Amino acid sequence: MRLRMSVEASAAWLVCALVCIGLGEGKLQAADAKLKLEAQLIWATTDHQSPDPSHKPVDADILKKLQDLPLKWTNYFVVNRKIMEVSTVGPVKMAMSEKCEIEVRHVGNGTVEVALFGKREPLVKRTQSLPKGETLVLGGNAPNATAWLVVLKRLE
Amino acid sequence: MTEKDHSSSEDPALVRAAQRGDMAAFEELVARHRDKVFARAFSMVRNEEEAVDLSQEAWVKGWQRLPQFLGESSFGTWITRIIINLCLDHLRKQKRQRFESIEAMDEESGGVERQMPVVTPNPTVNLERQELRKRIDQALGQLSHEHRTVLVLHEFEEMEYKEIAKTMGCSIGTVMSRLFYARRKMAALLANLRRDDLT
Amino acid sequence: MIDYDLQLKLQAHLDGELSPAEARGIQARLARDPEARALLAELTATTAALADFEDGRRLPESREFFWSKIEREIHRDASSASPSAALPWWAGWRRWLVPIGTAAMVALAGLMATRPGLAPEAEAELADPGAFTYRDYTARTTLVWLSYPAEKEFPADDGSDTMD
Repeated sequence: MRLRMSVEASAAWLVCALVCIGLGEGKLQAADAKLKLEAQLIWATTDHQSPDPSHKPVDADILKKLQDLPLKWTNYFVVNRKIMEVSTVGPVKMAMSEKCEIEVRHVGNGTVEVALFGKREPLVKRTQSLPKGETLVLGGNAPNATAWLVVLKRLE
Repeated sequence: MTEKDHSSSEDPALVRAAQRGDMAAFEELVARHRDKVFARAFSMVRNEEEAVDLSQEAWVKGWQRLPQFLGESSFGTWITRIIINLCLDHLRKQKRQRFESIEAMDEESGGVERQMPVVTPNPTVNLERQELRKRIDQALGQLSHEHRTVLVLHEFEEMEYKEIAKTMGCSIGTVMSRLFYARRKMAALLANLRRDDLT
Repeated sequence: MIDYDLQLKLQAHLDGELSPAEARGIQARLARDPEARALLAELTATTAALADFEDGRRLPESREFFWSKIEREIHRDASSASPSAALPWWAGWRRWLVPIGTAAMVALAGLMATRPGLAPEAEAELADPGAFTYRDYTARTTLVWLSYPAEKEFPADDGSDTMD
């Protein structure tokens, strides 16, 4: 039975162990970090302006993302915008409108659980990794062939 | 030594022979079922060349998986399921899926199928079989691949909703709404085709 | 106009997907609702039209030619699967493979977990089975679309507006 490892093989195992420890620490840090998110409630239409003058057109970067999606609408207006900080401790719930609420929880490692409520009834729940640059869009039909969208993205 | 004539053998006997390595028996199975396999591929992918290639691939896979065929279904059903899965993979990979998604989104989000008036009278009555087939072919080509797939799986493969959902990787609710849309769209397309013919 | 839920139930009734109790309910509705009967008739007619549709289609290649391609492919796959008798080139490096390989796997797993920009894993638990998901990998955008009608399409419309 071989009781001794070669020096080289021992070194390789040591490197392996160090990598494990280093990544484990990094993972712990990522797990409980707070995430800063932006949620926008958006009205989608083919009309050139919203009947509500306070609804401004979406920013160019959001417009580009929505135009790249297979949606038939051409114009998008911001109805409401909220910034939230979510951690793994508990969910954050915010009203986007009188009837629309969003609840977000950081489940760890940059993954969020997003629940949408319409008139306090649950509509959809989604768990997704949301690194910087990633966008989640939840949407549905609105009257007169328009639509509502909730756009969620990471700010930092 | 003369080659055994397999043309009079039943499918189960051919399958058993092929599982023992008899390629001539497998060739007979190919000859018997190749049109059905091709027809299913064409219904789904709507391109003759692709359907032929996919059919060929299905048969090669069929040979490789023969040891796993236990006879729980008929051989025809089994090989058809192989071609269906190949077609689904093929459709998913294709870049044009993006544009079909636009169509699917437009239809599903608009709720068009819920508001379409019922088509009467039956536009297919009194049509010659060949003419009807041609019209259906045209109408099928105008559906998105997702709607066409659910229609093919239900109407041609006679799968239940649950099975279609599992095959397509979607919910039963999605299967129901897509099937409903596909049927209503087919009825409307057949009616329009008929009207065009009369004008 | 009959509501969407009933429309889908009529379809399910045609397809034999309803429970006996639901089927009885639909039968009762059909007996008193001509609009429901008309829709069911249309769905039935479409199904009937599609029956045997694929029967006439033929593979556009001769038996011999088509088979020759399959046979060639089968033989090619069979010969590429044969094991080689010679020892692989890496045989002498085996004592290094496990520790180095393990380190590489752990490093890769760590990178995947912490590095932004890679395609995220996504799960959806959906309250509504009619939700539809679309993913644009280039733009890094995920769309979850809820395909039920806007509020005013419900029969019990209280006149209230949309979600904004």
